[in-house]
Amino acid sequence: MLCFVVALAASGQEKKRKPSAYNQQKQNKEDEKFLEKQWWLGFKAGPNLSKAHVVKTYSIIAPTNYEASTIGKKYDNFNLVGAQATIEVSFYFKRFLFSFQPTYQNSRFAYSNSFVWSSESDLTNRVELNFEQEQKLDHAILPLIIKYDIYGNRLRPYVQLGAYSAILINATKSVTSSGIDNAAGGENVFQNEPIIVGAKDLFAKSYWGLLGGLGVNYNLGNNVRLNLDIMYKYGMSNISSTENRYGSDRLSGVGDAMDDLTLDNLSVSIGCLFPMRFLSSGFKSLDH
Amino acid sequence: MLKRINTILSIVFVFSLMLSCSEESNPEFDIQTFTTIFDNNKFDASFFPIEMRQTADGGYIVLGGRKLDDSNFTGIYLLKADKFGNFVKEIEVEETSVNPVAKLTEYQTKYYFFCMDPLTQQAQIANVDANLEAVTITPVQGGLTYPAAASFVDNSFILLGYNNGDKQTVISIVNPDGGILSSKGYSIGTGEDIEEPIIKHYIRTGRQYPFEVGKVSSNLYFFNGFFNYTFSLVFTDMTSDDPVGVVQGQQADGGFSALTPLGGNKFASSRFNFGENFLIPNKELSTSGITSTVDLGGYSLPELVPNANVRILRAKIDTENVLIYGSDTKSKQIGLLFYEEATGTFISSRYLGFSNPFEIASLTQTSDEGLAVCGTTYVAGRFPRICIFKLSKEQLASNLNK
Repeated sequence: MLCFVVALAASGQEKKRKPSAYNQQKQNKEDEKFLEKQWWLGFKAGPNLSKAHVVKTYSIIAPTNYEASTIGKKYDNFNLVGAQATIEVSFYFKRFLFSFQPTYQNSRFAYSNSFVWSSESDLTNRVELNFEQEQKLDHAILPLIIKYDIYGNRLRPYVQLGAYSAILINATKSVTSSGIDNAAGGENVFQNEPIIVGAKDLFAKSYWGLLGGLGVNYNLGNNVRLNLDIMYKYGMSNISSTENRYGSDRLSGVGDAMDDLTLDNLSVSIGCLFPMRFLSSGFKSLDH
Repeated sequence: MLKRINTILSIVFVFSLMLSCSEESNPEFDIQTFTTIFDNNKFDASFFPIEMRQTADGGYIVLGGRKLDDSNFTGIYLLKADKFGNFVKEIEVEETSVNPVAKLTEYQTKYYFFCMDPLTQQAQIANVDANLEAVTITPVQGGLTYPAAASFVDNSFILLGYNNGDKQTVISIVNPDGGILSSKGYSIGTGEDIEEPIIKHYIRTGRQYPFEVGKVSSNLYFFNGFFNYTFSLVFTDMTSDDPVGVVQGQQADGGFSALTPLGGNKFASSRFNFGENFLIPNKELSTSGITSTVDLGGYSLPELVPNANVRILRAKIDTENVLIYGSDTKSKQIGLLFYEEATGTFISSRYLGFSNPFEIASLTQTSDEGLAVCGTTYVAGRFPRICIFKLSKEQLASNLNK
């Protein structure tokens, strides 16, 4: 909606423009020179998917007579949809854009593990417990990005590379336990109410990573560019708090401790950009 | 333009600063703070800790009990964890020795505890190395039976036992080889009824009584056990036929639930009385004559389960001498209560465990000035398993409001 309003305003301003015929050739040269540099301001938003890389695994439960791998966490990658909203400030210079894109990012990832206790002498004595753990993280992402316009026309595809820092805003964890209890005289399939806890202390206050991606800008012809942006953020540092790993008694009680993790994130955003420098009071700015 | 360059440089600077603040893996944190639950996937298995000690390598050795299929007594279970709380090794000691009792005592690189022969009920002294390579068990000489508690003073063990033939509580000095240096028995009274809670204690079908034994001064010993029809704190010189002093409980329904000498006649203690619990952080007890626990007062703690297990640890936190009481709460957590040792003034509290039930077994101050708490948790709400909470020095200091 913001993009639409901005586009209308820019379009309205553009209609007032009165092109001059005076010294057209000289003017074109000045225009071209002017157009070599530009500041862009924009907004974009969209969904994202996350993937956790385990750097070091941790567990409250220490098996004494069975392999730890049998109760290991299984991460469910690129499965839970998060969202992000970005304000983009970019400086264009000869096909390169130097971009700062502060982003509010909500990302989600989950893992599960299961435990079985059984009797060798009585096979009906068997209990199975399954835990589903979902993490919801809100970060302020501060990326610095260099984009390169592959070719420039009305449709401008680009590639991008950069690095980012993420500051934790909020985090929650929910743990849902379910299972099958065969020891009560029959098959008792149960699911407990989820434990939902604020988990900000369990995560690192900040982390950083590298990013890359591609996208395309489409010039609407009224100074406004529509933008489709696909970005992959590759986490480089731990997102878990090493100091507060066991800080939540509610989670420790059910055997959960956060692994050391890095977080990857694949995002798709749609938005618009509009220029901050104009050729004239008529808001002429760029090729169209 | 200059302003814009400054802005960009500022962003780059802040960005660089944030990168430098990223979270790094730190093994020190993993040592200072952890929670571990040692799980066995056998449905019928049952393990509970009795006492835990930190070993020289920073790890932990746990003396515990386990359910036996073919005996009414408790089997012996030993567990070694490393300094991170990771499981290293366990030993399920053969059923020819049962009923392990605290305290687990380090002496000349070995860890000693007492247990008994399930057929003869004769006391045995056992030792194990810090890596649980081998357990050595030797019968205690002199026909001592039913060990109930032990402590270690002046390179000898003080052992509390029960003689069901003579219906006596027996206090003995035992050397590390199992030889008896001295021994004295005191009648619990006559009749079948008085013996019933003691036998139920041993086969764990009844209340687990907080038997204790120790030494107050050069010729004054104490035990917390049955004497003259009552669960009492008895002071003895181990030569006289009659005790020097007795602090009586209320038959089997009242008495001390934990006791730690603070020097002189002062004790940090707790008492139970028909289900109620009272903490008495610093109180001078009469070591002569007959007095009663009921007259000692104390802080009433309705949050604790009836007749709660209580453990008392003398700890030093940031140069301050502190008493840490650990007990079981009605909310199925382990409650830690901090008191100033010198004055008995309450400082603060901390609660451990959630979701599944947790019960206290042992408190240990660690070499990094943190605290290790060993207890029982019921995994999946039903399977008794051993757990360790490790708190850092900083976490303890926060309990002093520093």
